[in-house]
Amino acid sequence: MLGKLLKYELKATGRTFMPIYAALLIAAAVTKLISALTAGGSEVPEFISAIVYIMILMGMFVMTFVVMIQRFHKNLLSDEGYLMFTLPVEPWQHIVSKLLISVLWNLGSLVAAFLSIVILTFDEIANRALMLDLFAVIAEFLTIFGPTGSLVVLEIFLAGIATTVFGILLIYASIALGHLSNRHRTMASLGAFLGLTAFAQILFACLTLIPNVRVLQHYMDTLQESLQTSIALFHYVMWFTIGFFTLLSAGYFLITNHILKKRLNLE
Amino acid sequence: MPWDLKPDRPIYTQLVEHIEWMILSGVYPPGSKLPSVRDLAKEASVNPNTMQRALAQLEEDGLIITHRTSGRSITEDSEMIQKARIRIAREQVSEFLEKMKKLGFDKKEILSIINNMIEEVGK
Amino acid sequence: MNAILECKGLTKSYGGKKALSDVNLTIERGRIVGLLGPNGSGKTTLIKLANALLTPTLGEIRIAGMEPGTGTKKIVSYLPERNYLSDWMRVHDIIGLFRDFYGDFRPDKAYDMLKRLNINPNDKLKTMSKGTKEKVQLILVMSRESELYLLDEPIGGVDPAARDYILETIISNYNPEATIIISTHLISDVEKILDHVIFIREGQVVLSSSVDEIREQGKSVDGLFREVFRC
Repeated sequence: MLGKLLKYELKATGRTFMPIYAALLIAAAVTKLISALTAGGSEVPEFISAIVYIMILMGMFVMTFVVMIQRFHKNLLSDEGYLMFTLPVEPWQHIVSKLLISVLWNLGSLVAAFLSIVILTFDEIANRALMLDLFAVIAEFLTIFGPTGSLVVLEIFLAGIATTVFGILLIYASIALGHLSNRHRTMASLGAFLGLTAFAQILFACLTLIPNVRVLQHYMDTLQESLQTSIALFHYVMWFTIGFFTLLSAGYFLITNHILKKRLNLE
Repeated sequence: MPWDLKPDRPIYTQLVEHIEWMILSGVYPPGSKLPSVRDLAKEASVNPNTMQRALAQLEEDGLIITHRTSGRSITEDSEMIQKARIRIAREQVSEFLEKMKKLGFDKKEILSIINNMIEEVGK
Repeated sequence: MNAILECKGLTKSYGGKKALSDVNLTIERGRIVGLLGPNGSGKTTLIKLANALLTPTLGEIRIAGMEPGTGTKKIVSYLPERNYLSDWMRVHDIIGLFRDFYGDFRPDKAYDMLKRLNINPNDKLKTMSKGTKEKVQLILVMSRESELYLLDEPIGGVDPAARDYILETIISNYNPEATIIISTHLISDVEKILDHVIFIREGQVVLSSSVDEIREQGKSVDGLFREVFRC
């Protein structure tokens, strides 16, 4: 059943994102083309094309955010909810399917942005040299970490996923909490959002400052002395981040699930 | 014949009457096969359960026979049919006589009106 | 066990207000039941509870012996009063969705009914009139071979010809193992197909009777309703 939900979620959202990605890449290509054609002449056409490109780029990130909210709110908590919640599917499956697809589009937008930049900066000679330099720098950076070097890539990736998932579930939980109120649901959702964000910040502060004070103190003191401890500190911070956001994500997931399962009240 | 069902009497009794009429007036001749319960219910725009009850009643009255494998058919027993015809005729007449009595007609007047009407309608 | 729907002491409150109050009902299989009452009487609340769209405050409700949840959703086919389909979908798409999620959905039945009503499966829902969308929703619901059908105002917004077709569809789909519950205020239109009626007012059941019993007293259900709910 989860697979089927994913399929429909993808269908419903793909029709928005695919055209945007296409538009972005085309705008990048067009800008590049204009730049090449008008080289030496007026800079105005290139300028205009670049503006268009940037607008699409910003629009893409905004849409990623907007669609994430809209899919949850419109598809589950308004009229369409009458269809969704009478499908023989557990509420957690609805949450997970939308979460996974939102993560997908978040990654997709990053990839699209990256590709568009590659297109814009596509200059045979400079590019190849630049790429080689870039790889050299990254490789050197990783060797500093010694045997734990490859772990760093994983950590960065996991941290990225954890914070994205956290952000999405934070929004879902806010919308779900807003749904609990009978009137002014939007205001209630905003309130919940502020509340949950504040909670996350306070919790983070508590966990980092109080128990970790000594640990941090110790590491700060020894920072200059040893490369080893800096590396250990880095890993510690990364895993702490991953763990923290995963934990909060789980909490927000449970809140959302409970509300959808037991406190649903569609108008 | 349109199924004209009145709102203030039980439906199944009206269905029984209607089907009786159809049998006796030759719409469903003796021995002929009856449509399925579902089709009849659809035709009459009624609940199949109710139609089922009506058919069960008619079976009890002997006008319909259920064959185990081939559905329902009208009886070929002409005596049964005649009995039913007479019963309905008597019901009609009794209703008629009630009304005439209410209007204050006596036996002679009633018979004379009937004879005149039969002549007229005959032409 | 023959009862498809059972309510025991079922109560639902919102804040201080009681939408349903101590409802006790048993509905058998193979019946066509009318759930009748004025607006706000609790009919929709009862139906939502049966669909697990709401949870009881007190008491219980059971469908085929199960608590409302994923298990009951497999055997319950619900037609809500509102339009619940995604506008961007084509009719084909929504039929595909129903086929994917409901094991008891019969696509051939759906396409058949669409043809009869002259609805093109390639049309986008966005382009359809409200009445046509309602017909599509009804077709989807009636194309499932479920054990309980919950129809909330199925003939409210449609023209008389479509109304007849809808009633005809309900009759043709009748199956002795399934029960259809119709919630409506257009009583005289549906009276003839009902076996049993439940009158509900201000969250409480005021009458539960077979239609025959009512008519044997020389009244139509519509007539009795007007009496009982006289303003």
